[in-house]
Amino acid sequence: MALARYILRRLAFVLPQLVGILMVSFFLVKLIPGDPAVLMLGPNATPDAIDGLRRALGLDQSLIRQFAVYIGHVFHGDLGTSWQSTRPVVSDLIERFPATLELVTLGLSLALLIGIPLGIAAARAGRGPLRKIGEAYGLLAGAIPDFWLALVLIYVFYSTLHVAPAPLGRLDIALVAPPFVTGSLILDSLLAGDLQALGSALAHLVLPVATLGFINAGPILKMTQSTVGRILASDFIRYAEMCGLPRRVVMRQAIRAALPSIVTIVSVLYGFLIGGAVLVEIVFSWGGAGQYAVQGVLNADINPVLGFVVFSAIFSLIVYLCVDLAYFLLDPRTRG
Amino acid sequence: MQSQADLMPPSSASPSDPLLRVEGLHVSFRHPVDPPTEALRGIDLTIERGEMVGLVGESGAGKTTLARAIMGLVPQPGRIDAGTISFRGQVMADLGDDALRAIRGRNLAMVIPNPRSELNPVLTVGEQIGNVVRHHLGLGRSAARAAALDMLKAVSIPDPARRLDAYPHELSGGMAQRVVIAIALACSPAFVISDDATSGLDVTVQAQILDLLRTLIRAKDSSALFITRDIAITAHFCDRIVVLYAGEVVEVATVDTFFDRPTHPYSLMLLAAFSHSADLRRRWTVPPDETLPGAGEGCVFAPRCVRRQPRCTSEHPALRRLGDARAVRCHFPVGI
Repeated sequence: MALARYILRRLAFVLPQLVGILMVSFFLVKLIPGDPAVLMLGPNATPDAIDGLRRALGLDQSLIRQFAVYIGHVFHGDLGTSWQSTRPVVSDLIERFPATLELVTLGLSLALLIGIPLGIAAARAGRGPLRKIGEAYGLLAGAIPDFWLALVLIYVFYSTLHVAPAPLGRLDIALVAPPFVTGSLILDSLLAGDLQALGSALAHLVLPVATLGFINAGPILKMTQSTVGRILASDFIRYAEMCGLPRRVVMRQAIRAALPSIVTIVSVLYGFLIGGAVLVEIVFSWGGAGQYAVQGVLNADINPVLGFVVFSAIFSLIVYLCVDLAYFLLDPRTRG
Repeated sequence: MQSQADLMPPSSASPSDPLLRVEGLHVSFRHPVDPPTEALRGIDLTIERGEMVGLVGESGAGKTTLARAIMGLVPQPGRIDAGTISFRGQVMADLGDDALRAIRGRNLAMVIPNPRSELNPVLTVGEQIGNVVRHHLGLGRSAARAAALDMLKAVSIPDPARRLDAYPHELSGGMAQRVVIAIALACSPAFVISDDATSGLDVTVQAQILDLLRTLIRAKDSSALFITRDIAITAHFCDRIVVLYAGEVVEVATVDTFFDRPTHPYSLMLLAAFSHSADLRRRWTVPPDETLPGAGEGCVFAPRCVRRQPRCTSEHPALRRLGDARAVRCHFPVGI
């Protein structure tokens, strides 16, 4: 019951938060120099034609008015049209957002698989070699840019060893994509029973997922190591030792107590990677949402940019809501 | 899981062995730059079966370090430099980690101060008591829960069935202290160490808790070491008193003889501090003489001693036996 009330209270804040986020991004994007009308009509356009287009786009109105009009449309589910793709932003993003989500989710999962066990091992090892490995890994993962690692991986596994597919999108060019259901190629090809597409999709995912996984395991490792280390030195773990509980039980209690911090860093990374994976997307010609938004910024195409902000804001808000629910389950002190 | 302590061969143990024997125990704390500080300098202590011994001394005397050393958990960065601790005839240093864990909490239990930070914040009271009996006595989940309920009743917690599912943050200080006693006594240990167990509680609750602790320890025919700064407590609860000063035992006596005729000047100073007579306090207390070295050749208490003689600063006194069950570490004991 307390849980339901808590969720409702959280949901009540989602709408104002969304409007706030949109307002900030709208005015920030408007600060970027460049007139869409000029860019759309090209270098040979007459001033009259440009003026006409500006009026048609509503660009002659005040910024406040433009924002009000935009918000009105957003609440009707209309994120405007991209003049580059000449398609509604909503349908562009529904196609591209799942591509990013699939990539980021798998990348983050790999990062968790690397970071958490290594972090726990490093925290347990005290001053031993595992701790040094943990420290070196954290430093490397923090210092190496993801796009550079992506290029190295492509050079080794595609150019030299020829075991990875060409970094040109999510599926072999010769294959037909399975019918669009979820937008995730893995799920869609499974639903369609198309094993060939599934194999190709998985093969294309390996290098970008490895890139994101290796890089993002760094912060997860660091957070796990410091949190578990702190908890292992805490009063209640010392007390568990005094009670003579077996080592594995003590360790389980320590990891359990470290979970809220790990959940926090994962949620922050998840929200960040939706846009933060853009360099990896570009290197692998992924065609994801981040790439779409960057194209928009470069060409004064405001609607894709704001659309991307709406999508990732909603996604982040959902993630944070899940995190709060996880806290609720993990820590009895928050249930007060 | 069968408790390993019970499976251990009673190798050198014989009925004539004391329950606990500490011989020549030296513990020091290492520091990165400074020379190590000596926390315990040659402690000798025996505790017989069924005996209650009070360990008194001011903060920093080494009381908690001694307790932790007996538990096999010398606090970091401390280490045992010399000496042995044997429990039921078995030298603790010879036991491996698993064997030690099987003894701790099972036969050698500790009641800790400030239990609100030492209980695991994310486990219920029932789970924490249950954990100990499950791992030490091999009970199943439901039997462990029943045992936990019995223990909560035994420590007179109001509404025990409801408290079983309470989390530590939902308990008052007195209740948390009772829970810690329940955990310590759940396996009917042969030896209980109470480390200043009631220091955080107000006086009325303190008396209740101590009465409860003594009743339960007597009922289970256990021995106990009562560590306290409050010498009055030992008068009520103990058979024998051991006075610790700067990591050395300075006086050992039965409670009756100790309160009747204390012999070490420090014991007199302690007793005077608790008396209502300002005159007595003045007589036995002098401002410490900072010019004298604290340790080294002379008596460790010499800088604060009202009866100091030249010999006290040049020759370290040995712990001398004065008849049965009585010993003092002083060149010029009072009234001898």
